[in-house]
Amino acid sequence: MTVLSCSGLRRRFGDVLAVDDVSFTIAEGETYGLLGPNGAGKTTTISMITGVLERDAGEVVVDGVPMSPDAVAAKRLVGYVPQELALYPDLTGRENLRFFASLYGAGRRRVDEVLEVVGLADRAGDLAREYSGGMKRRLNVAIGLLHEPRLLVLDEPTAGVDPQSRNQIMENVRALAAEGMAILYTTHYMEEAERLCDRVGVIDSGRLIAEGTRRELVERLGERDRISLQLDGDLSHAATVLGAIPAVRGLAPHGHGLELVVDDARECLPVVLSAISTNGAVVRSVEVTEPNLETVFLHLTGKALRE
Amino acid sequence: MKVLSIAWINVHRALRDRTGLFFLVALPLLLVFIIGAAFGGSMKPVVGVVGDAGALRSDASVQVRDFADEPALRAAVEHGEISAGLVRAGTPVLLTRSDRSGQQVRMLVTSALTREANRLSAGEFVASHAGIDRDTALSVVDSMRVEPVEVRATTTGEALFPEGFSGFDLGASNQLIVFTFLNALTTAAALVETRSFGVTRRMFATPTPARVIVAGEALGRIAIALLQGLIVVAGSALLFGVRWGDPLGAAALLVAFALVSGGAGLLLGALCRTQQQTGGFGILLGLGLAAFGGCMVPLEFFSPALRTVAFATPHGWANDGFAALTRRGGDLLSVAPHLGVLLGFAAVLFSLGAWRLRLAVTR
Repeated sequence: MTVLSCSGLRRRFGDVLAVDDVSFTIAEGETYGLLGPNGAGKTTTISMITGVLERDAGEVVVDGVPMSPDAVAAKRLVGYVPQELALYPDLTGRENLRFFASLYGAGRRRVDEVLEVVGLADRAGDLAREYSGGMKRRLNVAIGLLHEPRLLVLDEPTAGVDPQSRNQIMENVRALAAEGMAILYTTHYMEEAERLCDRVGVIDSGRLIAEGTRRELVERLGERDRISLQLDGDLSHAATVLGAIPAVRGLAPHGHGLELVVDDARECLPVVLSAISTNGAVVRSVEVTEPNLETVFLHLTGKALRE
Repeated sequence: MKVLSIAWINVHRALRDRTGLFFLVALPLLLVFIIGAAFGGSMKPVVGVVGDAGALRSDASVQVRDFADEPALRAAVEHGEISAGLVRAGTPVLLTRSDRSGQQVRMLVTSALTREANRLSAGEFVASHAGIDRDTALSVVDSMRVEPVEVRATTTGEALFPEGFSGFDLGASNQLIVFTFLNALTTAAALVETRSFGVTRRMFATPTPARVIVAGEALGRIAIALLQGLIVVAGSALLFGVRWGDPLGAAALLVAFALVSGGAGLLLGALCRTQQQTGGFGILLGLGLAAFGGCMVPLEFFSPALRTVAFATPHGWANDGFAALTRRGGDLLSVAPHLGVLLGFAAVLFSLGAWRLRLAVTR
């Protein structure tokens, strides 16, 4: 079931076309990563999706309800975690949550539940300015969860946090998606996108230039997984045996071994190792290379994600 | 309900700020005290004396303090510990500061010394003509009752300040106006901060219409201004016995001026981009309008041209309104024009502030 559908989004700031004809959908329980270099239009897109920014053209529908800056009913369905720490540093964690709970119409019990979810229950009475960077980020995320939204929009939620808090936030996101929440996630960390996102959209200069799963994007670029094997034994016999495996798309000598081009290295590797061992060769080392999103991103935009 | 939540968070944050609390509670009352003490005018002048104080000691209008020598007396006058000093060795020497209070004390002391000289002259005269000793002659002089010359005095025109009007009464209404406005402008910094943190934008991402956010922020500013006004009114009445005149009129003026102050705070917070800007403009406007509005020097001392300028500011109208209640015995009806003008100022400031803040939130 589609939770978010946006089509033909366009927004101009003066002479700058910040977002141009961006369309994508997110299904229930799906995590969608929106990747792009700085200034690509990610935050503008998110602002239109969350209804804080008027769009020049296009349509946003959340769970069947059209979104606009005045659409109170649609905003009830969306949880927004902005890139900046949008909270009051001179209030405690609990006071911040209670304030936003009053705006979302959520009760005090829900505040306590959310504090537990993000692991801040024992520090709820401390002022937010006394929190570590990671704790502030978790509080920032907690505010977006108060009203149990259908769609959670996270704009760089782990920027500048310690590994422990980053893991906690990612675990929270994974758990929420498992419960059926649709998640729109932007990040500068490619490994986060690869670990969390079911699909990604690559945005550059305001346009969505590619979209799909990691594998789909990689294949679209003509890149494939590779398995490099260092072997003791008859290399030509091994090459014949391995070449007969359907998932192996290509094969070439590589040092004292072979390099295989395969569809899916993780699925294929056990079959390859089994075939070699049953044919008398000894494997000295294995190296698997999977083209990642960084490669895709660099290829599509000509820039690294952090630029 | 959401309006109240947003308003309350503003008040809550203002009350949590310890520096802000000093400006909200302590400083206005401290200034009421200082101004009241400085212009109170009800204290007896203290005259230090080296030697015999003579008639001064029995003079009810001065208080005498004895000094051992002239250097100590001179130092006390120079340091302002006493109003004047009198050295009575040979020809009396009076030490005063070169200000108006020094002139007043000089008149009091001269008058007392003249009375004393007259008494001694009369004693000498009685002693020489009656053939009695000097002390007996002086007691005869003291026993004589002479009817004082009756001087009939009438007043003409209005007194600048009515009988019994103290420096505390004058200072309190001025400080109320200055601090209510100044602190409301200070809260503009909190609004800029809220916007820069992204909290305002985040509020707009919740199911809360922009008009509710703007109304909540505006109400928060009015509440802080009103709280400031109430602190000065209640604090000065309880601590210094300040009289605020007709309660209904005073309450209406307070509310109207709190609305003006809240509107100014909202507009400044919506216009400025940084807290430094709000601080600079806030102090400039707060103190500038206070000066032109007669909060530093009473409006009665202004030239006609400056009075016209004063009534172009909300401070001038509020000031004159409180003067009507406290000095001219006015009531709610007599300050109705003041209330009308202040509410007009408030309406303009709120309309501009709300329009600008809404733009800042939704753009």
